[in-house]
Amino acid sequence: MSKRIITTMNKLAAGVAVGVTAMAAGYTGTAVAADTEWAGFVENATYLRDGVGLSKFRNTAQAEFSKPIESDSWSNVSINGTLRATYDGVYDLNDDEFGKDATEEYLGANWHEQDLSSTILQPGTPLPCENDPALCDNLDGYMDQDEKDAKYPDFNDQLDFIRELYISADKQLDNGDIINLSFGKQQVVWGKTDLFRVLDVINPVDYSRHNIYDELEDIRIPQWMLTAEWRMGPNEIFDDSNLSVVWNIDKFRPHNLGTCGQAYRIVDAGCFFSSRIIGGGPYVINDVEEHDWSLANSQFGLKWEGVYGDATFSLNALHYRQQLPSIHTNGNGVSPVPGSNFGLFNIHFPEVNLIGGSIDYYSMNQDAVWRLETSYTQGEEQPRDAYGYKETDMFRYVIGFDKNITIPELGTRSAFLLSTQLFGEHILDHERDMPNEAENWIATMLFKGFYVNNRLSPQIIIAHDFAAEATAIAPSIEYLIDDHWKVNAGFNIKEGGEKKFPWSVTGGAAGGVQTEPLARFLNGPIGVANQEDEFQMSVRYSF
Amino acid sequence: MFNKTFISLALTAAVSTSAMAATDQDVENSFYPYKSGVPSYTGLSAGMTINQGNVDQFKEILDPAMYEFIKAGDTEVKVGETTSFDLHSSYVEATKANLANVKLGDNPGEISGSVAGRPFPAEPSLDDPRAGEKLAWNYKYGYNWGDSAAIMPFYWKFRNMETGKLERTLKFNFHFLNFTHRTEQTPTPAITPNPSNLFRGIYVQVLEPFDVKNTQLLIQRFEDDLKRDNAYLYLGFQRRVRRLSSGQVTDSFLGSDVMIEDFEGYNGRISDMNWTFKGARNMLVPMYNHNEMELDSESHKDDEGYQVVAFGGKGNCFPNVTYQLRKVYEVESASVDPNHPISKRQHFIDAQTFTIPRNITYDRKGDMWKSWSIGQAHPDHHLPQNKGKGVAIDDAFTMVDMQAQHCTTGQFKGIVDPSLTPQSKMTVQNLRASGK
Repeated sequence: MSKRIITTMNKLAAGVAVGVTAMAAGYTGTAVAADTEWAGFVENATYLRDGVGLSKFRNTAQAEFSKPIESDSWSNVSINGTLRATYDGVYDLNDDEFGKDATEEYLGANWHEQDLSSTILQPGTPLPCENDPALCDNLDGYMDQDEKDAKYPDFNDQLDFIRELYISADKQLDNGDIINLSFGKQQVVWGKTDLFRVLDVINPVDYSRHNIYDELEDIRIPQWMLTAEWRMGPNEIFDDSNLSVVWNIDKFRPHNLGTCGQAYRIVDAGCFFSSRIIGGGPYVINDVEEHDWSLANSQFGLKWEGVYGDATFSLNALHYRQQLPSIHTNGNGVSPVPGSNFGLFNIHFPEVNLIGGSIDYYSMNQDAVWRLETSYTQGEEQPRDAYGYKETDMFRYVIGFDKNITIPELGTRSAFLLSTQLFGEHILDHERDMPNEAENWIATMLFKGFYVNNRLSPQIIIAHDFAAEATAIAPSIEYLIDDHWKVNAGFNIKEGGEKKFPWSVTGGAAGGVQTEPLARFLNGPIGVANQEDEFQMSVRYSF
Repeated sequence: MFNKTFISLALTAAVSTSAMAATDQDVENSFYPYKSGVPSYTGLSAGMTINQGNVDQFKEILDPAMYEFIKAGDTEVKVGETTSFDLHSSYVEATKANLANVKLGDNPGEISGSVAGRPFPAEPSLDDPRAGEKLAWNYKYGYNWGDSAAIMPFYWKFRNMETGKLERTLKFNFHFLNFTHRTEQTPTPAITPNPSNLFRGIYVQVLEPFDVKNTQLLIQRFEDDLKRDNAYLYLGFQRRVRRLSSGQVTDSFLGSDVMIEDFEGYNGRISDMNWTFKGARNMLVPMYNHNEMELDSESHKDDEGYQVVAFGGKGNCFPNVTYQLRKVYEVESASVDPNHPISKRQHFIDAQTFTIPRNITYDRKGDMWKSWSIGQAHPDHHLPQNKGKGVAIDDAFTMVDMQAQHCTTGQFKGIVDPSLTPQSKMTVQNLRASGK
């Protein structure tokens, strides 16, 4: 039934997509206003990984359009879309390392030396749908990409080549307020934070593109949503006020963490999920809980935002599903019960309720901007050793500080941007056998300068995960040759990833210091990428 | 004849005490300085060209930067007839209505009683230590773009002055809206509700090129000059609004040679600067009839047949427009903040319109750094919908970095039409909605 619904939804989506695109490109009715505006780029991103060779040869063509339409009763009516086609040649050019034939000696070989953990789990099966049909069946619907999906990530059953496609319209009310409705495939951004997602959790994220390092704009997975905004503007108290509702009617999609065999797989989860007990034992994953499309499974949120004096603020509430997989023990928790797809765990995506808020405050005395974004969630699940998982409330926040500083000694009259952030995450019902620390912080710093009329821009980003004791340092330089050509080159260097964690679920090495598999959560996305030092270069032509 | 009248008026003003209230006659003199005749200068006539060969003869009626450019052969100046740029009668009437109430406070940036119109229409006096500040207020509360206006589109070109290479072309829309001090567009004199008591909003949207497309800037200036502007930036690739610190207001705006603080000749607080009146003089400034200028048929064409002003000279850094001999007030503004990237600006404020057609910026060492020109087009010789609007239309700017031999030029399509700039344009929510 679920597959039939999915197929039906995809056909419906394809039909809507084709229809709306056709409207945008060739609408000739009496309501036509201005011409369709097109813009976009083609880009090659070539990354070289230390000791591995080519790790990315991504070629992207992206086009964006906006088609204004005149209407007698609505204003600012437009159809907007973003289409993207990507081919990553690394799977053809470096197939020893990545792709369906990219086997590893032991689980976690790409982030630590071999240790006792290799005696428990076999190395993950790369791209299991091409190498192990039974495992592919276990992972059905999640982390089951094949090599074609990795090479051409935009062309899949979910029509991801349509990055966005929505119609938007305003209704002017007599009192001056504006009602806006937008429907279609969209990204809805709620956060104020770079890199971290505290409130910006409406769209899931594709981490297989480049781990945590790409702009969220490029890695959010757009969803079919209806948004309604009531723009009230200023009143006697607030300089601006707006109430918005978002209703995500798309079929639930979790984060894409990267399948084993792909060049980027955050915390190496893809290989963990595609491994099994050594010697032909059970798979790690027995089944992935699927959430059929239904109104009951839709996700919705409410946001009120405004401006009060020197502060811009938002209050947010969202009901959604956890986008990271929660690993539930299959059976009684200690001895797995063999089933038709015999495995140790099932993957679940529990329902979550979030309340939160954000505030930007400009301090005139410091001539700097402070940002605070915070959320409290109920319903999230954290991994555990002996018991698989536990539902726990979570508290997250980011404190950000942005300041522009003029430093003539560095040879430019342009100000440098200093942006620092501290991300805190607190597991409120923490247990000793959780690999994630009860409290953890990640600090980031961006220092960016501008030379030659901003056409030359060096920057350095440093991120440090305190619990993982892992650090990433990414210096880069961008050169805008002209309005069309842009080149970016840089390094991304990571250190850390030495944390170990005992794993007793299989009955072995309880209380030991094994690296696999839960230590990957403790080491986090930076620590687990410690063998992924890279030189990165991209060339883009925009039109 | 006119010169004698002018000198007489100036002397009258000079012997008056600074505390003396302005009169209706002051208002007439301020808004209609050419009623009795236009200024003249020996050897100068409309239609002639000032170039490298004859520039020394006209050094007195050129600002120092323009003199240097012409002397070096970087550009020539074609002389046009001096014409009256009559501001809208509603602004003149508002000036008269509020005449008796306007007073400076004890400290720079403090003013009271200014509801609408020109706050200090009386002729400034060199003996008045706060004359420069009063002229700055006349500029701030001036009828620069009227109550609201839009520049759609607005082309900024980054040019290498040595080679003439065009490095970048940015296409913007700019919108201006006065929340208070309104005289012509309803509601007057103020838009309500206005809880933070904003004075003015400037909204900027980048249309091209792709790497900065959808970048938006919103500046909200407060009626209280002592309060620093609220500035918001929306970055398309981040899809979120960032608050700006003032460091970016004095920074290169999107890589141009222009700071946000440079917009319109000065775009900051009165209280950020120490203002000094240096005197009134007759000077050649770029003010003209747009429809009679050489136009650029390549950069912009539209259904209305509108074309933007063409540029020429060294590196194509100079607008091909005529200059009029006009009465200007020379005012220096020196930054209060010792860390400000400039030491001072030399403003040449048009006495009739209180626009700033010419500016010279000096670096921290006191050397001449940048030269700003903003051509003012007469509204009756521009777009048909601007006729009779009483707004001197910003029409062509150039900011030349004389040290780097680089310039940013601006070509405008300025439209005075309140429907293009509703209040909702000046909200943070509009940034998100427009940038989505």
